[in-house]
Amino acid sequence: MLATAVNEIVSTKLNPNVVPHLHIWEWHIPLYLFLGGIAGGLLVITSIMIVLKRKFGIGPRDQGDGCPCLAVRIGSILSPTLLGIGMLFLFLDLAHPLYVWAFYTTIQPTSPMSAGSWILLAFFPLAILQAMLVNKRQLRSFNIEPVNKVIDWTENHMTIVALVNAHIGVGIGIYTGILLSFFSARPLWSSSILGMLFLVSGISAAAALMLLLAPKDEKPVYSMIDANAIWIEIMTVGLFVLGGLTGSANTHGAMMHLVTGDVNLAGMSYMFWFWGIFVGAGLVVPLLLEFLEAAGVHIKFPNVAPVMVLLGGLVLRFLIVFAGQTYHTFM
Amino acid sequence: MSHGQNFSRRDFIKISSIFLAGSAAITTATGHAFSGADTPVGDEGSKVVHSFCEHCFWRCGIAAHVRDGKVYKITGSDHHPLSQGKLCPRGTGGTGLLYDPDRLAHPLIRETKGGRQFYRKASWEEAISLVAEKLWNIKEEHGPGALAMLHHGYGVSFFKNMLSQIGVNKYAKPSYDLCCGPARQASVLTYGYPSDTPEGFDMKNSKYMVFFGTHFGENMHNTAVQEISDGIRNGAKIVVFDPRFSTLAGKAEHWLPIKPATDIAMMQGLMHVLISENLYDKAFVEAHTVGFDELRDSVKDMTPEKVTEITDIPADAIRTVAREYAFHAPAAFVHSGRRTNWYGDALQRIRAIHILNALVGNFWMRGGVVKFEKFPLVKPPATHEHPAYEKEAYSKYPFFPQDEPSNTLASHEIIQETIAGNIKGLLIYGVNLPETMTFGREKAIEAMKKAEFVVAVDVLPAEVTGYADVVLPECTYLERYDDLDNGRAFRTPFVALRQPAVSPMYDSKPGNEIAKMITDKWGIHGAFPPSVEKGLDKKLRLVGSSLEEMKKKGVLVMPETDLYRKQGEPLNLNTPSGKVELASAQMKAAGFDAVPKYTPQPEAPAGFYRMLTGRKPMLTFGRTANNRFLGDVATAKENEVWVNNRIAEKHSLQNGEYVHLKNQAGVVSEFPVKVKVTQRIRTDAVYMVHGFGHSAAKLTWAHKRGASHNQLISRTDIDPAMGGVGFQNNFVTFIKEA
Amino acid sequence: MSNKKNYGMVIDTRVCVGCSACVYACKQENHVPEGYCRDWVVQETGGEYPKLTMENRSERCQHCENAPCVTYCPTRASHYAEDGTVQINRSLCTGCKACMAACPYDARYVHPEGYVDKCSLCKHRIEQGLETACVSICPTGSLHLVDFNNMDQKTKTLLSGKVVYRQKEHAGTEPGLQWISASNKHGA
Repeated sequence: MLATAVNEIVSTKLNPNVVPHLHIWEWHIPLYLFLGGIAGGLLVITSIMIVLKRKFGIGPRDQGDGCPCLAVRIGSILSPTLLGIGMLFLFLDLAHPLYVWAFYTTIQPTSPMSAGSWILLAFFPLAILQAMLVNKRQLRSFNIEPVNKVIDWTENHMTIVALVNAHIGVGIGIYTGILLSFFSARPLWSSSILGMLFLVSGISAAAALMLLLAPKDEKPVYSMIDANAIWIEIMTVGLFVLGGLTGSANTHGAMMHLVTGDVNLAGMSYMFWFWGIFVGAGLVVPLLLEFLEAAGVHIKFPNVAPVMVLLGGLVLRFLIVFAGQTYHTFM
Repeated sequence: MSHGQNFSRRDFIKISSIFLAGSAAITTATGHAFSGADTPVGDEGSKVVHSFCEHCFWRCGIAAHVRDGKVYKITGSDHHPLSQGKLCPRGTGGTGLLYDPDRLAHPLIRETKGGRQFYRKASWEEAISLVAEKLWNIKEEHGPGALAMLHHGYGVSFFKNMLSQIGVNKYAKPSYDLCCGPARQASVLTYGYPSDTPEGFDMKNSKYMVFFGTHFGENMHNTAVQEISDGIRNGAKIVVFDPRFSTLAGKAEHWLPIKPATDIAMMQGLMHVLISENLYDKAFVEAHTVGFDELRDSVKDMTPEKVTEITDIPADAIRTVAREYAFHAPAAFVHSGRRTNWYGDALQRIRAIHILNALVGNFWMRGGVVKFEKFPLVKPPATHEHPAYEKEAYSKYPFFPQDEPSNTLASHEIIQETIAGNIKGLLIYGVNLPETMTFGREKAIEAMKKAEFVVAVDVLPAEVTGYADVVLPECTYLERYDDLDNGRAFRTPFVALRQPAVSPMYDSKPGNEIAKMITDKWGIHGAFPPSVEKGLDKKLRLVGSSLEEMKKKGVLVMPETDLYRKQGEPLNLNTPSGKVELASAQMKAAGFDAVPKYTPQPEAPAGFYRMLTGRKPMLTFGRTANNRFLGDVATAKENEVWVNNRIAEKHSLQNGEYVHLKNQAGVVSEFPVKVKVTQRIRTDAVYMVHGFGHSAAKLTWAHKRGASHNQLISRTDIDPAMGGVGFQNNFVTFIKEA
Repeated sequence: MSNKKNYGMVIDTRVCVGCSACVYACKQENHVPEGYCRDWVVQETGGEYPKLTMENRSERCQHCENAPCVTYCPTRASHYAEDGTVQINRSLCTGCKACMAACPYDARYVHPEGYVDKCSLCKHRIEQGLETACVSICPTGSLHLVDFNNMDQKTKTLLSGKVVYRQKEHAGTEPGLQWISASNKHGA
């Protein structure tokens, strides 16, 4: 038998961050991307619900003051909260966290990380304002002078705030994916569909979260949103995988590394995680469950589907971040 | 105090770490020279000390950069002809030895209490007194012939002088037996002068360089590598006969994966083509050689077709190499290599190489074989009249050197004599005997256990120190003066100075002080100059320099010498015929073949593979085994066993898996070794770098890294002519991890 | 002639033996911590037995003209220096590691002291008129420090008529390291 002509490469390089493969991000970044995605998704859903209710009167009942339903109120609070927690992980991932101020000494438009750090900053004032406005009744009861003042000044502009927030939410969602897309040296990440994928995944995870938190009568709306988001997400994942497989040898290899990979992640191969956990348990099964529920079939544990969606979203971030690192650098 | 009773039988003692540098009081001075400072710093506030390296025998010039009493950087000396500002990794890695936390920090004396043997920390006064007393008593009781020294390293001259004072003349340099001996003696027999370092080849001007098994680039002989690179830039072609695709083979126009142990047949085949196709230099052969007819007859039947059968190399390739070689001659040569002891017939193999050179008339020609000159240092008058017995030749091997007072016996002869009880006292200087390939590990240990008294002078707690009665910690070459280096010959003859860059760390001392202290204890005065500096100064003043002047550049360099012969001038060589001896009457007279003849070597048993060895460019076996600085790249951390991909498949071996090796005598490697599955080696051999798999736990870096090549040597083939040790007739197979 | 420098390297793999002297010299010169390196040596064997080929090369940061690390750096810590090299300003580096993901050559590492580090082309030495530590130690003369804006005759002769390549040129990075291929015929 002839030996196969594979180049033997021996290197003296040690650096643990790049040998035997890129190893710069562990759990912090995928968790941040997941929380950022949910935060973006929550902001999109809640702000659209506000606009729909106030402009078109569509949506679950409110408490008579134009403020939306309970799920929206909780979601509006959770959005900046979760993003804040996510940013804490981001901060913890820095090798030199004390220099975090350096992000805000410059605007580097070519650096998604610089752009992102500014977007994150822009996100908070309006997201918090929205959270305050939808919860203004409760807030006023605390009777804190400056809080009252802010609410007084802005409560008539809630629709505008929500409209702007819908866009910021989309931006945050896409940003969590685009952050990786820009690394053309990492073939798995180097796909702009990743922005879309992380956005819809964030929206579906946010819908799932709201579905869990909403009172029974509000649930069907979020179930519907979630089902639709999952449906779009399945399409997007398909395109993401297809885009990889039809790409250059590098991109193809990177996608195969993910979808058929035997690299072990917490006891299971990438392939199993991707098809079994993310696609199967995180997308197809919950979509089926929600479809059946909408069709009137009684589901014994209605919380199962949204939990699976959330899990799937988390797994997606971990898989993409890890598999992008374990595949070899752009050749 | 019970030492003395148990000297004839000793156990291996693990040196307690409290006697080593890592936990010594002066820990502040240790630490890593190569970590720390947050910004790269320039060389402000530092001084540069020019000296020469001790990480291998090449002895390149170094520039040690010192700041605040610490060597923080070592670069190549610009002044030294062998380095010319360049340095191999090991030279740079001197800091790794100097600041090795495992260094021996105090003199140690073996003690026995309640049947248990251990070392205790001793003062220099006590240790020196004991060594002086023991050696003296053995000499008094049994004569100086009962004492012997095994040595490796440049600091030995002082101990040689010390022992000479009491008439000792049994000195063995294992590097002769294992490494360069055949090349040295084959040159003596063929050309009338010993080969040298750097070897006498005009590499940078050559157009065609042929190598058998030697692998420059993996053995980083600085100057040689510099010159080969010059040669490549100048368009030289390289031919490599090697069962393994070495780095040098990677540079070759022709890599010819020769069947191991058949090199002499190949050389005879090349001679056959040169002679039968009339490609040889008739004028040179006629004028300057003897024995051509005998040579011609001896290779008459060695046709390329016949050689193909023996060597596995196609006949066309043999013809091509011979023709190209003759075409490029005299700017062409066959290199004699460095570690030349392979199969016990190495003297003849290197003789064959010299004959191949002589046949094309490249002798003392540009791009061919040359003789570099040494600096004509004037020998100061002897301080001591050596007794007559020192001049006796002891080695039983007829072509063992007769002109090297520091190498009078083969190391295996000393080991055998010790086991036989004739030698009772051993001084072991810088030789890690259990891991030195001299006669196998078992015999070395047996000899050390048998001896009445063993004193080891070393820098590190290597395996050998565990078998000594007294361990004397010498400081490293960066902390001491040694004798002037007048041993190296090159284009510009030179003499070099070893001088301390920093003062000795811990309770270690330079060899020159240790030897003087012992000699003083014997009541022999005047054997050494009052101080090492004064001695060096005196020697240098004889050639119009001084220590003060020498300290500035570390080297005295003469203008370039003319290396090439003039047409029509006789060579007047120091051989019996005065010519290049193609056939050697001396060898014939001693009962050996006058011209080299191929004889088959044993074949591997089924499922076994011939074990070949070599080195990694950043390591020199024992000298660097524990060097953390040098160990800090991915390829230096352990040795691998190279296995051909087809053989790996046959044994179901995966690249990167660990196996134990078992040799033909059933010896199983103490530690597992990583498999490297590769196309770069023939299917009948495996390869592993020597100097790994250390069992001494106090070598905290080297311990258990890779597998020991030495341990798997059960068979040695002594060259009956020159006494060298061949060990490539050892075969191994794989034991997969359960 | 240009007053503006554009430093890079020409690396002659025909002579490199992969000894790693460059790696150790760099570690010592630049106080590279244990377990890390700024430059490294690659030995690549190709072909099929017995027709094998080999290239040895000393690799490091490519000091790209269009460096993804600089593009991606959010804080300007990674930047182009006046002399055409890519440098890192440690007092701006947060250790976000984006530059490491961006680098197609995997030339960077996280220094244990909390910043990203890589080959500086011995800027401190070039400023003193010295060659880099790796260039000055290399026994084979494989490494050449070159100002590509003012290439001297020696370098031009060295490159002339040879197969010369740059690594991952299709990444669009305009790398500042040029390699004389080991595939060049003898005496090319």
